[in-house]
Amino acid sequence: MLEGKQNGHVFKLPKVILLAKNITNVELEKAKAAGFADTVIMKPMRASMAAACLQQVLGIGKKRQAGKDMLNGSPVLQGLLCGKKILVVDDNMAHQRVFAGALKKFGAAVECRESGKAALKLLQLPCCFYACFMDIQMPEMDGFEATHPIRMMESKANEQMNGGMDEDSGRKGEWHVPILAMTADVIHATYDECLKCRMDGCVEAL
Amino acid sequence: MERNPMRRQLASLRKSLFDQGYLDEQFMELEQLQDDANPNFVEEVVTLYYRDSARLILNLDHALERRPLDFSKLDGLMHQFKGSSSSIGAKKVKAESTLFREYCKYGNAEGCMRTFQQLKKEYATLRKKLETYFQLARQIGPMESANRPK
Repeated sequence: MLEGKQNGHVFKLPKVILLAKNITNVELEKAKAAGFADTVIMKPMRASMAAACLQQVLGIGKKRQAGKDMLNGSPVLQGLLCGKKILVVDDNMAHQRVFAGALKKFGAAVECRESGKAALKLLQLPCCFYACFMDIQMPEMDGFEATHPIRMMESKANEQMNGGMDEDSGRKGEWHVPILAMTADVIHATYDECLKCRMDGCVEAL
Repeated sequence: MERNPMRRQLASLRKSLFDQGYLDEQFMELEQLQDDANPNFVEEVVTLYYRDSARLILNLDHALERRPLDFSKLDGLMHQFKGSSSSIGAKKVKAESTLFREYCKYGNAEGCMRTFQQLKKEYATLRKKLETYFQLARQIGPMESANRPK
């Protein structure tokens, strides 16, 4: 099972990674402020990106893979995701399928859900998922809204654990969910693309 | 039983989809995920895309009939459509959805409507081309197994 980041405790830490098709700066700042987002990743998701983010988030193998290309089938990625249980939450079926397929290729055991609510049921503690990739912009309950109750659960669990903690390191046990926000594309880049397609119409609208 | 010309035709068709800007490299990601365990992966995902799209286009059509236009709602719908299109690498469709969203941002009703018509055209064109592509691929598929050496 996944080892606790940095603190040496062996706790199961579900990683919640938010998927965003298009994240505004406001949303990104909000995500960061709430302790949600450490990084922004582009959607459509590729397994190589997912694994790279997980590595970054978990602080695993950073030095090893510095400067290396994230190629499909790379042993580093294989090692990271192989046999791990991953939850993918996305209301976009095509994307869900692509992303799940990519993760499976790396040997992950993937479960999919189409809503934040459905995901929450699976993410109750103790949680058996290594990571959760969650769409930030789903209709009923978006990634932010779904992550909030998870944080609440974790705080409670942490309080309870800290009460009875007598580990030698003296560190408090901590359920913590590092979260990565992912976005479909940088707004400006695609704006440039569409300018190329329909330049005059776009400029006039301004 | 000559499948080489068909293979060449398929390759040529595929190349033109990229060269003419209908598809981008995301489509190649899908192709990479197709293997013996998932022999029809690409077509399956594209089928899901058609399903997503049909629903979204219908909702967009309805939303564009209302007066006054709810740009926020339109933007939300198109955002989903764009995401869907991105997943399969539908480049031109994606570009139109981006443009649409720009018009939403500036409350430009005419721009939205014009762009949506264009988007539907692009979507229809892409769909037709992909259907031809998959049809050919399927023909080659069974031929391959039939011709496999014993």
